[in-house]
Amino acid sequence: MIEFKPGNLRVPRWTRPVYMVAAGTSDFRKRYPEKKIEELSMMAFRMLVEENGLKIDPLEVKGLINFACYGEFADHFQDQLLCEAKVHDYLGLDLLPNVGIKTGGATGGSALLMGATTVASGMADCALVLGWERMDEVKTWTGNYYIASAACKDFETRLARNYASYYASMARRFQEMYGVDERVRAEIAVKNRGYACHSPFAQQPGRHTVEEVLKGEVVSDPLRFLECCAMSVGSSAVLLCSESLASRLSDRPVRIYAAGGSHTLRTGDRRPMRILLLPNEKETDYRGLYKDMEKQDGRWPGFESFGATRFAAYMAYHMAGIGNPIEDLDLIETHDAFTISDLQTYGDVGLTLYGREQEYVTSGDCYLANPKTGKPGRCPANLSGGLLGTMHAVGATGIFQAGEVLWQLQGKYDKFHGDPEIWKRYGKTRPKDWQSLQVKDPRRGMAISHAGVGSHVVCTILEKV
Amino acid sequence: MNDRVQLKTAPSKITVTDDVWVLHFPRFGEEGTHFHTYGMLTPYFKGLTEGRLMATLCANRGCPISKGRGEKWLPPRADCPDCHQPMVWQEVVNPIGTIYTYTYVERGGTGLEIECPYYQIDVKMEGVGTIVKSYLLDRKPIRIGDKVRARFRTGKEATHTCLDLCFELA
Repeated sequence: MIEFKPGNLRVPRWTRPVYMVAAGTSDFRKRYPEKKIEELSMMAFRMLVEENGLKIDPLEVKGLINFACYGEFADHFQDQLLCEAKVHDYLGLDLLPNVGIKTGGATGGSALLMGATTVASGMADCALVLGWERMDEVKTWTGNYYIASAACKDFETRLARNYASYYASMARRFQEMYGVDERVRAEIAVKNRGYACHSPFAQQPGRHTVEEVLKGEVVSDPLRFLECCAMSVGSSAVLLCSESLASRLSDRPVRIYAAGGSHTLRTGDRRPMRILLLPNEKETDYRGLYKDMEKQDGRWPGFESFGATRFAAYMAYHMAGIGNPIEDLDLIETHDAFTISDLQTYGDVGLTLYGREQEYVTSGDCYLANPKTGKPGRCPANLSGGLLGTMHAVGATGIFQAGEVLWQLQGKYDKFHGDPEIWKRYGKTRPKDWQSLQVKDPRRGMAISHAGVGSHVVCTILEKV
Repeated sequence: MNDRVQLKTAPSKITVTDDVWVLHFPRFGEEGTHFHTYGMLTPYFKGLTEGRLMATLCANRGCPISKGRGEKWLPPRADCPDCHQPMVWQEVVNPIGTIYTYTYVERGGTGLEIECPYYQIDVKMEGVGTIVKSYLLDRKPIRIGDKVRARFRTGKEATHTCLDLCFELA
């Protein structure tokens, strides 16, 4: 059993507030030979400065930037070291300082966290956060080996060379521990891929059924193909700034809070701990769960939960004054690289208690419109289409998620997803049955950026002011 | 394919310097080989090739967690993360355990040396604080809680990698 000391649980106190005012993105494709990574980054940057209704000329916006944080997951995918310098130059930002940030799947969220701290500290007044990934230079199964290099090289990578297998063992344990019906996982794939049908940026939108998901080919039992995200190419960006600059730039600036957590790469090395309680939880809430764990040889976080997500959520909630996430958050973007990671996360971030994640999904509260009641879901998840439906160009992912939450809070879902011209830009036609997925008057949203089997996690809360 | 899982690999070449194993990863032939050290964990990998499962444990009585009576670490680590003192080696005698969780791997990434399909298993062992990821030789249906026994690829069969540890149903 390991325990925290008081210093470990100090809540971050930024020296000044930080705001997000704009977002931009490319579309996402499994293969994107038409454009180089710098050109895709330019697409995201152009949308950021030109299409967010900023109150000053785009080139003047660029003239305000004094720091850049770049997210790129894997040099070996790009086959290029120091890609940051190439992108920075291509965007015309020389000689400004930039740093490259790498924390696996959470790279985008970590770039956001670092960008926010440059503004919070006064190091920068206006910071660009931009990420990308190019995963199409190698065949899919070589790509899977590359990703599996994010498992432990000495003790794990050789045991599959396919990341799905490391999640599959978590899925198996979660399923047995909590008696999960695999239809619930399939429902998550159907929901998120369905939401992607309304996004012009989406790589693999689809109107699937639970039966279709479950009949699909198995990648690593119990995970099927439609439960796993795909290789992806693209870029996303957001612009962060100080309070005074935010009001100069935007009529609808959004305040940002971000915090991270981490946990060992090898799931089996995660030693048992007492559950770190969120503001809405009490020790007695988990009496039954601890007893069940004793009976089933269980442990927390074990294979069922992500301790890093819980830690990041704990910090971010205390920073943002979130007392009860299901009441205080109006939407969420989870890191649904696999259906199981989406399901596990609902307990980690306290939208429901640990052990009740399945019931939370079937309650319909994670939908825009609750399919059971027809009323709005309490905290819709992955309206962007998520990683399953829209994208996982890894270095861009956490940034893309936060950008989608920003647009929701600004009431701009339709502007960026419904405009037929944007669809045309990517060689697509807006579907005839396109629907607005704009949440009605949301105040707060959260994006969860997540690496490995939960090795690094950043929770970013955005709040309308 | 038969009912026992086979490996599709030749033994990895190693260099031995001062009792430390350095493993060769020939990515682009001889010239492109990576030389990866097992450092202070070399006794673990060497032990596998001799049919012994070697673990480490913290014997420091001043350690706030182990208090000198630590559970075994598998995979081992040379230094204790709780008191930062060197750990000691101890063999896991009679290495049996139970399946904590598992997946049936239908396909793996490029270069996978284990013949698909196979079970990747996570094993809980008595006296070991961590849960060990490995693979199962058997292909017949399994359940969480099933008993397994460690097997080793020794001598000429050894790959000099983590694949030298595997399990079979007990």
